[in-house]
Amino acid sequence: MLRYILRRLLLLPLVALGVTFLLFFLTQRLSPEMRASLYIKDPRQMGALEEVIEKYGLRDNVFKQYGRWLSGALRGDLGYSQSANMPVAQAIKEYLPATVQLALVTMVLVVFFGVWFGVVSAVKKDKWQDIAARLVSVGGFSLPIFVLGLLLLMLFYGKLGWFPPGGFSISTDVTIHSPSFHSYTGFLLIDSLLNGNLKVFCDVLRHLVLPALTLCIGSFALMVRVMRSSMLEELGKDYVRTARAKGLPEHAVIYRHAGKNAIIPVITLAGIQFIRLLGGTVIVETIFDYPGIGRFGVMAAQQLDIAGIMGFSLMVAVLFVLGNLLSDVLYTAVDPRIKLGE
Amino acid sequence: MALWRKTADNKTARRAGIDGRAQIAIILNMNASEDTVLQVEDLRVCFRHGQNRTEVLRGLSYRLQKGKVLAVVGESGCGKTVHALSLLKLLPPGGKITGGRILYQGKDILSLSAEELRKLRGAGLSMIFQDPMTSLNPIRTIGKQITETIEAHTSYSNLRARAQAVRLLKKVGISNARKRLEEYPFQFSGGQRQRIMIAMALCLQPNVLIADEPTTALDVTIQAQILKLIRDLQRQSGMAAVFITHNLAIVADIADEVLVLYGGYCVEQATVHALFSKPLHPYTQGLLGSLVSLNKKVEHLPAIEGYPPAPGMPEKGCPFAPRCPYAGEKCHSCLPPLIEQEQHKVRCWLVEKNEKSR
Repeated sequence: MLRYILRRLLLLPLVALGVTFLLFFLTQRLSPEMRASLYIKDPRQMGALEEVIEKYGLRDNVFKQYGRWLSGALRGDLGYSQSANMPVAQAIKEYLPATVQLALVTMVLVVFFGVWFGVVSAVKKDKWQDIAARLVSVGGFSLPIFVLGLLLLMLFYGKLGWFPPGGFSISTDVTIHSPSFHSYTGFLLIDSLLNGNLKVFCDVLRHLVLPALTLCIGSFALMVRVMRSSMLEELGKDYVRTARAKGLPEHAVIYRHAGKNAIIPVITLAGIQFIRLLGGTVIVETIFDYPGIGRFGVMAAQQLDIAGIMGFSLMVAVLFVLGNLLSDVLYTAVDPRIKLGE
Repeated sequence: MALWRKTADNKTARRAGIDGRAQIAIILNMNASEDTVLQVEDLRVCFRHGQNRTEVLRGLSYRLQKGKVLAVVGESGCGKTVHALSLLKLLPPGGKITGGRILYQGKDILSLSAEELRKLRGAGLSMIFQDPMTSLNPIRTIGKQITETIEAHTSYSNLRARAQAVRLLKKVGISNARKRLEEYPFQFSGGQRQRIMIAMALCLQPNVLIADEPTTALDVTIQAQILKLIRDLQRQSGMAAVFITHNLAIVADIADEVLVLYGGYCVEQATVHALFSKPLHPYTQGLLGSLVSLNKKVEHLPAIEGYPPAPGMPEKGCPFAPRCPYAGEKCHSCLPPLIEQEQHKVRCWLVEKNEKSR
């Protein structure tokens, strides 16, 4: 198993190299002038264009330019992001934890409700519980995420005032930037607990509810579907009949026996959805004014901030490989028949 | 569970002064037979496919005594497995028991609540299934699969349940049992898995074991081991068994009484000796005739012409009439009744005619 993980991690640089080179090659389709124009803030200084091109060697061969970027990246220098006004590495460090936090909370909700609804749906096949679960999940799935987000915002913030938008409130902002608040992990939910500051924890959680709920409703339909069909298949198998014949209570038959077998395909789906959430929560982050990495990525793309784009895609590629590896490892925890690397 | 055992034992019941209903049940039972553990009366099972209703079991009756083995034989599709599953109310979706009674120690299984039924399954009445390769949960250790059965019916601690599981595995001939409790079904061979199934079915010393073709999926040498194992265990504990099979050699080996099923009907029922020495029904004669001896050389393997009826064929005439070499007009138009002569039951017009002419 350890060997398998190591082998997969060895593949990581290859994937990263491929992704970044392809992307770099694509950005080279833009003329050097277009790429240089980002660095000129004032239209009156357009004359300095040639100077910028010269300075950064934007007319060089693709490989030479990519080599420069790569040697920087290897030293941990991903360049300076004009769109975020800070080094790319710092931008990722600053925005990624908030998104990971959001994605994790969302995944917990998605898996919990997805599995629950899926099991109920399968056990009560064609009864009202099944129909209700399918209606709710398909309804959430068909509603565009921005409509759903705005509706929730209107109701829970506009009317009820329960869950405000943004990442945290001003008082929290002050607290976390005060010298007494140590940033251990960058994840505010964890840091606040480590600092023993429950007020910050609650505040951050309160701001997480709406975006997480929006993402959850938008993506748990698929989970319900997969869980339902997988559960139906398992419930028809012989070992479930054996479990009943042994006189086990019905809940043990459903959860301990069929449920555990049925969850295997859900793990793959959860892995994919989690990675998708890490790179693609931009709509939700925008609606709820949530300071996440998705917005950084889109901003960089819109402003042709090539360093930003490269950094962002490198991050997504790394996360993708790690996420897949994680779901592979999780398989072995659930299914003893799967032995990695044999 | 404890209560079940008590109602079983007459004397214990009287001494303990169990409530009136149970006593009535016992008295009724005494009228029938003191030792009857399982009694099936006119059992009917239907399957529904959309609008179609197919009756696959058409009034099956028998009585099983303590310590005896009843073999139920017949071709594929005659209702053997459906009968076995209905004894524990484990019919797949679409299947429904539409009539009759199943009395376990005088109490009708069909009228039990879900919880009472659960307590009975695996403890009083337990079952071994046909295919050991799919009948165990692939991602659960066999230790857990055995101990959870024990824990579902007793208040044993996990440690005690495990000790019991080790004892059982040793009894069914799985070596290194303590270590192997932690292993998963895929780490065992087919024969070992079936032995684990048997250990699981026997872990609470049931009064009745229902074995649904327990050796069909296994090769011949392992078949013999498994049969010997079941027979030994059954003799040791006085357990009764319903043994479902299509293998007549096994029947001769293990059974006390035989019930021949055809097209959902019981066509013949007798003791093993009577059935093998003097089969009355043409179908049974055909079955026995198709047995091949190693000593005789034959050109063609003897077989019964034609195919078994599709489930749900119209309820008219004898189900075997289309394949029967002796079938007359009456056989095609009227269903023969189950005639009893000297404890030998048979459903055939020919037998009745012979009877009258005698």
